[in-house]
Amino acid sequence: MGKPIIVGISGGVDSSVTALLLQQQGYDVECVFMKNWEGNDDENCTAEEDYKDALAVCDHLNLPLRSVNFAKEYWDGVFQYFIDEYAKGRTPNPDVLCNREVKFKAFLDYSIELGADKIATGHYARIDESNGQFKLLKGLDPGKDQSYFLYLLGQKALSKSMFPIGEIEKINVRKLAQDSGLINHAKKDSTGVCFIGEQKFFKDFLKKYIPTKPGKMKTINGQVCGEHDGLMYYTMGQRKGLGIGGGYGEKEAPWFVAEKDLDQNTLIVAQGHDHPALFHQHLSADQIHWTGATPPDDFEGLYAKIRYRQSDQKCEITELTSDSFSVKFDQPQFAITPGQSIVFYLGDECLGGGIIKGRN
Amino acid sequence: MPYFDHSATTPIHPDVLKKMNEVSSTHYGNPSSTHSSGRKSKSIIEDARRQIASAIGANASEIIFTGSGTEGNNLVMWSLTQSDKKHVITSAVEHPAVLKVLQKLAPYGITYSVLPVNGHGRVNNENLQNAIQPNTGLISIMMVNNEVGSIQPIKTLLETAHSAGIPFHSDTVQALGKIPLSVKEIEADYLSFSAHKFYGPKGVGFLYKRKSAQLNSLIIGGGQESNLRAGTENVPGIAGLGEAVRLASKNLSKRMHHLEELEAVLLKNLKIVCPHVKINGCPKHHIPGVISVSFPGEKSDILLAKLDRKGIEVSSGSACGAGSVKPSEVLKAMGIPDNQNISTLRISLGRGNTEEEVLGLAQVLDSITHG
Repeated sequence: MGKPIIVGISGGVDSSVTALLLQQQGYDVECVFMKNWEGNDDENCTAEEDYKDALAVCDHLNLPLRSVNFAKEYWDGVFQYFIDEYAKGRTPNPDVLCNREVKFKAFLDYSIELGADKIATGHYARIDESNGQFKLLKGLDPGKDQSYFLYLLGQKALSKSMFPIGEIEKINVRKLAQDSGLINHAKKDSTGVCFIGEQKFFKDFLKKYIPTKPGKMKTINGQVCGEHDGLMYYTMGQRKGLGIGGGYGEKEAPWFVAEKDLDQNTLIVAQGHDHPALFHQHLSADQIHWTGATPPDDFEGLYAKIRYRQSDQKCEITELTSDSFSVKFDQPQFAITPGQSIVFYLGDECLGGGIIKGRN
Repeated sequence: MPYFDHSATTPIHPDVLKKMNEVSSTHYGNPSSTHSSGRKSKSIIEDARRQIASAIGANASEIIFTGSGTEGNNLVMWSLTQSDKKHVITSAVEHPAVLKVLQKLAPYGITYSVLPVNGHGRVNNENLQNAIQPNTGLISIMMVNNEVGSIQPIKTLLETAHSAGIPFHSDTVQALGKIPLSVKEIEADYLSFSAHKFYGPKGVGFLYKRKSAQLNSLIIGGGQESNLRAGTENVPGIAGLGEAVRLASKNLSKRMHHLEELEAVLLKNLKIVCPHVKINGCPKHHIPGVISVSFPGEKSDILLAKLDRKGIEVSSGSACGAGSVKPSEVLKAMGIPDNQNISTLRISLGRGNTEEEVLGLAQVLDSITHG
């Protein structure tokens, strides 16, 4: 019996088709369902329903399914950071950390211990190997590329991972699922932070973990225009939920979060999507990580994304140390958000990135 | 496929299946109907009730059919919310079907004390005596532990309970069909049973309630089961349960002997192939065929998966067992350190297992552990 490929299956269509494709390609496939969050009975958690879907898929494909609990790893490696960042008024991205700490570390180690040759997940990305070097590439479906979430992977993880659906388009993933009779072929894609669920629960959720400090809301010119519920509830460029309509001020334009003044506990807002206070051309970042074994030696033709699904933005690295860097964009960027990741690309290759610290 | 997880559930006995098939296909009448087919169904239920009563030394009127052992436990615990004395004494190694129920009953005024167990998983009678309070309304101690197979000193505990005038309940789900069990000898007030633990069907069980004991219903409706458990009876399930109880008591000593022999073979060979294994539980007061074994340095979820790949089915000592394996609360209560705790498998043998299978298990365990 050869070494199996272990698929991290979530109950969604992407990871299900991942298992299906590998099985069709003749691999010895096993599936593992990860439970990374232990909510109370009353908390919003779809894990049980998702597990049932995963079980139905595995039963249909006649694949073994095991369940694994990484709640502790998730709490220590992702959630603590998530809360700490929010408490600092930043907007973290738990998914990039979940990939590094849970899916491509705890789950990978567990799978190796189980005797797996490699793991596979339902990410829209690709891995290209040449001469023992593994490159992380964008998924072929431009609308679905998820390499942004995977930029914290290194050579070890890339050498042990497979992303079969990165080679096809989402629409075909659903079609494959339907043609193979998978019950979840039309299941809605998951959105939002996995342990919170829908966006509307977000405030209540954070409130449970971080004390709230309401304060003043001011315009760019220093004029008080309202109250905020706590800086952590707001993110750069946010439009909804500010409690001031377009009618406030001189124009009929909506208001946006431009800045958080943590010292004064003040939220600063600007009117109109094109307001210059919402745009910056430079940013600084730290926690630098490269997907390659060594940092790239050439940055000619560099592009970056400062949020998932943003189109590639031309830029250059103006300063680079072993842990931090500064970036200048060709075009000013809307709502550069501290805590979020900046991820670099050369063509299709995802080079790595860092966590945004400041902008100017 | 060798199956060594009989404490989780057992394969249905062919005679039980035959009985259930016959009842399902022929006798569809509602037992509450007064016409012929209704009367026939009612007779089937009452036959099963008498069969069960005679097997455990009870009166037929003391048997209440339920949907599970868990339901029996719930009936007893919830009844206590109607009582003046709302304090319960239980043990640290009970099933969640007792411990979790008690937790949930806090808003109804139920309080409870949890007795510790010794390294063999057994409760001490002196601890019980000391835990009794003026408002203690129930003592609930399982007869046989599901993870390690230790048998509690039920008779002694019962004497303590009754000399203090306190009703006694025992979760006997793991006991019937494995050790002799008669309410003439064990004069408990309530005992909970589940059919699928002794080669009967899933989804049916019964509660023994001594005639003098108090009980209130949880499920209200048509007045079935002497108004204690409403709902149209699961006639084929009850017929199967009756047959399973009959079979369980019929060949008990032969069955026990078979399991004792297999257990001895397994232990002997385990110690040869994996000299470092540790056996948990009580060497003396222990049901045959349940082996809780720790493999120092291993993780139970990995072992389970590797056994599963080879078509061998056992279970881990730990609760939901996976990933960052959660140590089992039962083993924890027995003072077993966490690293040993999470390396524990529960192998539970049954009537279908053979010496050959058990030898094969020892060999596979040898090949998948690190030595």
